[in-house]
Formats: sequence, C-alpha cells, structure tokens
Amino acid sequence: MTDIKEKKKVEYSIEIKDLKIIYRTLQKTSIRQNIFKFQKNSMDKFEALRGVSFKVQKGQVLGVVGKNGSGKSTLLKAMAGVFAPDEGTIDMKGYSVSLLSIGVGFQRKLTGRENIYLSGMLLGFDEAFIKNKEDEIIEFSELGDFIDKPVKTYSSGMYSKLAFSITAVLETEIMLVDEVLSVGDKKFREKSYRKMRELISDDDRTVVIVSHSTDTLQELCDKILWIHDGVVKEYGEKDIVLPHYNEFMS
Amino acid sequence: MKKFVNDLIKYHHVTVYMAKSELKTEVAGSYLGWLWWILDPTLYMFVYGFIALIVFRASEPYFVSFVFIGLNVWNFFSHTVQASVKLVQQNSHIVSKVYIPKFCLILYKIYVNGFKLLITVSLVLVTMIAYKVHITPRVLYVIPSLLLLAIITFGISCILMHFGVYVEDLSNIVKVLLQLAFYISGIFFSLVKRVPAPYGQLLCTINPVAFIIDTIRKVALYATNPGWKVMILWFVISGILCVIGVKLLYKFENSYVKII
Repeated sequence: MTDIKEKKKVEYSIEIKDLKIIYRTLQKTSIRQNIFKFQKNSMDKFEALRGVSFKVQKGQVLGVVGKNGSGKSTLLKAMAGVFAPDEGTIDMKGYSVSLLSIGVGFQRKLTGRENIYLSGMLLGFDEAFIKNKEDEIIEFSELGDFIDKPVKTYSSGMYSKLAFSITAVLETEIMLVDEVLSVGDKKFREKSYRKMRELISDDDRTVVIVSHSTDTLQELCDKILWIHDGVVKEYGEKDIVLPHYNEFMS
Repeated sequence: MKKFVNDLIKYHHVTVYMAKSELKTEVAGSYLGWLWWILDPTLYMFVYGFIALIVFRASEPYFVSFVFIGLNVWNFFSHTVQASVKLVQQNSHIVSKVYIPKFCLILYKIYVNGFKLLITVSLVLVTMIAYKVHITPRVLYVIPSLLLLAIITFGISCILMHFGVYVEDLSNIVKVLLQLAFYISGIFFSLVKRVPAPYGQLLCTINPVAFIIDTIRKVALYATNPGWKVMILWFVISGILCVIGVKLLYKFENSYVKII
C-alpha cells in the first residue's frame, strides 16, 4: 500500500527495466566470408549490460560508477537513444535528452561557429534558438577569434572546450554526462565545474553523470548507481554506496 | 509511414543544414571551389565526346547537350548510390552520439547531389541555347523525370546503406555494378541506335537510369512525348523500393552503432 502512495507522489523522469545490450563482435562480414562459411558465423556475443533496472526521480542527480568496461558508457548511449535495447525498456518520459561527452563529432573542415549550429541542430534545437545562444556559447568556450576558423586548426583543448560549451549552454531536461568534467586547463575546468553545478541545481533537470572521480560524485550527486560487469551491484544514497565502491576498488 | 512523415518534418532543418555544410566543406577544401561542380562534368564531356566522336564516330543531334543530360543524371545517381554504402561509417561521429533517423543521411546526400545537379542543368540550358534547340512546352516533363530520379535513388540508396553496414566489401561490388550500369545507360551514346534491336529499346525500359536519361533527352531536345506507361510503372517500383528501404532502416538502425 505504502508503495503505491509513494509512487503517486514522486515523479520519475527516467525508468529503465531489465535493460540488456548485446554487442556481437565479428558481426561485420565480407562477401567472401559468407560464401565460404555456410554455417552461421560463430558470433561472439558480449553482453555489455545484462539486465539493468532503475528509476531516477525528476530533478535528481545520479552518479554512475564502475570499473572500466563495466557498461557505464553503453548505458548512457542507450539512454540517449543511440542504441536500441536488445531486451527491456528505456522510458525517458518524453523529455529532451542530450549526451555530453568528450569529442562530440565536429566537421573538421567547418568553422567552430558552423559546428555550433550543426551540433545544436543534431541535438534537436532549432536554428533560431541556437542563434539566441550562439554568443553565450562562444563566450563560454573562450575561443575568441578561433570560432571562425576551421575546427581542424584547433588544439585538443580548444576542441573539447567548444564541445563542452555547446552542450552546457544548450540545456536539455535530461542531461547525460560522460566524464567531461576534466576538460581544458585548470581555469576552464573550474569554470565548467561551476557551470555543471549550476545546471544540476535546477530542480527540473535530471542529470546522470558517469565519472571515475568519487570526490566529484560525492559533491554533485544525490544517488549512486554502481554497475559491475553489466549488472547493478548497488543502487542507493551516495553516502552508502560510494564508501562501498571505494573500498571495493582499493 | 506516419513515423516517416513525422521524422521527415522534424529532421528537415538538420538535413538541409548538413547538406549546406557538406557543400561548404567541399568549396573550402579546394582552390577552384564550386567551379568544380561545373568543371567536372565539362571535362568529362570532353572525354566522352572524344571517345564517341573520334573513336566510335557516333554522333547525335545536339551532341554536347545530349552528353550533358546523360552525365548530370548519371552523376547524381551514381554519386549518391556509391556514397550510401559507406554513409553510416562516415557519419559515425554523429550516429554514435545522437539519434537521427538514418534515412536522413541519404536525404542529405540527395540534397547535396541534387544541388549540384541543378547547377549543372545550367550547362544543358546554355548548350541548348547555343544549338538553338527548338524548345516546346514538353520540356516541363523534365520535372517528373527528375522527381522519379530522386525517388528511385533514395530507395536504392536506403537498401544499400543498410547492407553496407554489415557487409564490408559491398562497396567494391557496387562500384563494379555502377560501372556496368554506366555503359548500359547510354550516357554518351544512344542505346536505341547503338545496341541492336530489340535490346536497345529494352534497356531503355528496364534500366531506370537509362529510361530517365532517354526521357529527358526526348522531351528537352527532340520534342517527343515521354513513355507514360513505363514512367508510371517506374514510379510504382521506386515507391515500393523506398518503402522497403525505409522499413529496413527503421528496423535495424539502432543496432548499426554496435557494428561500426
């Protein structure tokens, strides 16, 4: 009974049920292989996620931890709609979602400014909206005159600064953040950290952060999801899960 | 189908912007820039003109316009189809970051090549004026012909893009097939005149590209009527190809990322 009452009160913005994502390695074949191998390719199946279920309340900040290759990034990509789940469901309740990760694809021959529009539109914003935000993005990225130079002339720091600025300024209702808090030099890092905090503090915005830095997560998140080998090892308040995780990893 | 129309509207601006960016990139990358869009068919026109006139001694009335029509239609078709095979891999930076209906990738290629096609149409017009071709209202039939070209290119490209993700060397096969198709489409010679009857006429009917080229030449240069029945038939077939292609893409598009 209490369960039902609670459900009515809290509004969830992300609901994931029994999510399974399977990579099939060696899936790519050539015609020669197909002709000479009549039996089905012995496909190596690799289950990146093996039945993950959790819910995130609207406005909450969820941190995802786990060792390398445990399926964290796969989870984010699935939530962003890039992967289709092999089994299970992902329900983002119709909110706008953006995936913020290092090295968003830029067209190298186009200028930074043109790439702002291209990325923005790919994220689902219309041209007028981006035009409004254009100056803010450019200012935040600290690129100055470089904004009108082709992206291929950028240093890797400038590249990721621009990438961060685009997704941080063009805010969505659900933000998925993949290890981007360590971008650029110290000054920019602090600035982007502040920006992240500002974005996160909005009560309507749901944020999922993947990071290896438990200090960052301790400070920014409400809850922690610990994924280990494609299954949820622990999910709960940060004060409970993070110490367990730290202990496990040390 | 409803989803297709919704996505078409929703992603229209992105697709157009992607096409614009690609055109800009091409211009930015070379000294002569957009001039290449005109230079390219012009230079090829000299190559095929040389082969047809000097080697085979096979001239046609209004020869330069004749070849330009063939080349423009062919370039649009072959460039789009050839690109479609590797399109998902090429846009992996987009495909692995955001969701975009994959047919939009084809669509933007069609916009890019379509834009170039429209520019090179001017070449045809210039040469037609130079030849003082007698132009009749029939020339308007060019519009449904080009529409058919766009639809059939879209359908074939969607299907090829899907299989291109899974089969690595499909691109080589497509290259060879396109080469064959080039010679049986009558780009720089007339199929009906040069291929012994009844095969010439047959090719002009069962090869959609040859049919479109032939139709445009008929209505623009020789003031004859297009073959209506065949055209309607090809519209139906291309429609079916599009439906198959789009359905394939919708069904499998979200697993592409795992493979590329």
